[in-house]
Amino acid sequence: MKLLELTLGIMTAVGGFVDLSELVFAAQAGSRFGYALIWVFAFSTIGIMVFGEMSGRVAAIAKQPVFNLMRHRLGLTLGLITLVASLISNLITCAAEIGGAALILQLLTGAPYIVVAIASTIVLAGSIWILPFKWIERTYGLLGLFMIVFAVALVAGDPPWPRLAHGLVPQVPAGLSGKELLAYGYFAVAIVSAVMFPYETYFYSSGGIEEKWGPKDLAINRLTTIVGFALGSLLAIAILANGANLFGPLHVDPQMPGTVALQVALPLGRTGLLLALLGMLFAISGAGVETCLSNAYSLAQFFGWEWGRYKKPWQAPRFTLAWLAVFALALAIVMTGIEPIELVNYAVLFSILVLPFTYLPLLLLAGDRTYMGDHANGRLSRVFGWTYYVVIVVAAVAALPLFLLTSGGQA
Amino acid sequence: MNPAGHLKLIGQLRDLQIVDRDGCKCGIVDDVELEGEPGKPLAVTAILVGPGAYAGRLPRWLLWAAQRVAGARVVRVRWSEVTGIGSTVQLRSPARELGLMKSEDAARRFVPRGGAI
Repeated sequence: MKLLELTLGIMTAVGGFVDLSELVFAAQAGSRFGYALIWVFAFSTIGIMVFGEMSGRVAAIAKQPVFNLMRHRLGLTLGLITLVASLISNLITCAAEIGGAALILQLLTGAPYIVVAIASTIVLAGSIWILPFKWIERTYGLLGLFMIVFAVALVAGDPPWPRLAHGLVPQVPAGLSGKELLAYGYFAVAIVSAVMFPYETYFYSSGGIEEKWGPKDLAINRLTTIVGFALGSLLAIAILANGANLFGPLHVDPQMPGTVALQVALPLGRTGLLLALLGMLFAISGAGVETCLSNAYSLAQFFGWEWGRYKKPWQAPRFTLAWLAVFALALAIVMTGIEPIELVNYAVLFSILVLPFTYLPLLLLAGDRTYMGDHANGRLSRVFGWTYYVVIVVAAVAALPLFLLTSGGQA
Repeated sequence: MNPAGHLKLIGQLRDLQIVDRDGCKCGIVDDVELEGEPGKPLAVTAILVGPGAYAGRLPRWLLWAAQRVAGARVVRVRWSEVTGIGSTVQLRSPARELGLMKSEDAARRFVPRGGAI
């Protein structure tokens, strides 16, 4: 039973790893820079493993979600500023995911974009209303596993494996013009942001509390974050590599999710295309649910309301109204007609700007023996945690200038 | 208790989750009310819950913005209600009897019952 739980947990983490921004940036990165950005995916995946593990450990030991302890630790002013910043960042991300899901549904059904956007928001909200937490997490995560076809397509295409493996070595490709170098820098920062989105740790740690984790769950937490995120990242890297093999030579710039799915259609035909689209639909929809719930979790935890989907929606009414409001606002953003790709750019930009504020309290809390006792950060977590924190701060400082100089990576 | 002990207690209390007798989450300790005179011992008399207790804890611009959005309600919970302090503050009575569930109950009217597994 324990093994089944563990396997399901890891598979859920794999299927839930990729969201719209990772999908779009991975495919574009491959198409424009070959394998040269694979190392950024690998590097940031270790970062999200480090912070994901910490947030799960804080949930299991301190039995309090990150936002509760964050306010207690950092005080009301800094806490409130961080709350507002992460609410905005998650809302933009949620809108991008709804827009992305709508684009795929539009391809699958032929119905107008706005109609499928409204329909998918209703279905997502309905799923949170009806299903308990574990089912929500598992349904989207496991169905997102259809995305494995991207890895199958990569293997079927027989890529130049030594060159692909060389992409794991940190590098700046030779022969790029000044403008291209800036775009490479922007892509690197955007990938760090997309892999380490703040909602992931909020959702993960709140999930730990929803499932009433304790010290006995620490091993599962560690395995899920390390193995699950590593395998999930391989899917993103497969999308990047397919982008390099198939789109690069044709000078295709895959900005739409449908274009990304063509990676699979070329080697695997119609069935592959359908599976890719379904996998993307569930993975992106899952990210939409997670970003939305993350905002409701953050608000409820900051103000001390009843929260959690282990309770019936009417047993935590402010929490319920909060996630319904987030969906409504995200849908309103989508209905203004902003392209999801534009929202993705704003989402990664805003997220990287707020990442230093959101990860600092987590790092301090996980290292604090008052809360964590013997399970406080050891030497390894401390070194990795602070190293990645410095990287996040550097990426945050560089993000806005790079975004402006490259017009969001387009230059 | 020495003065440092008092200050530490206030620091520990502020911004902690409050949980009532039945385990219901019912707010955050937004501030602590003290009573005393110069030269005499200070005593904690109540915990204050609600955005009305933010005054003095936020910069003026942020206080203005917070109270525009969240209002300025404040509920005073007598110190004798507090039974324990750890990673949460535990209360002796049900939250509703202490007036801590007004907003939650107001929100409940808009949330239909049914349809959830």
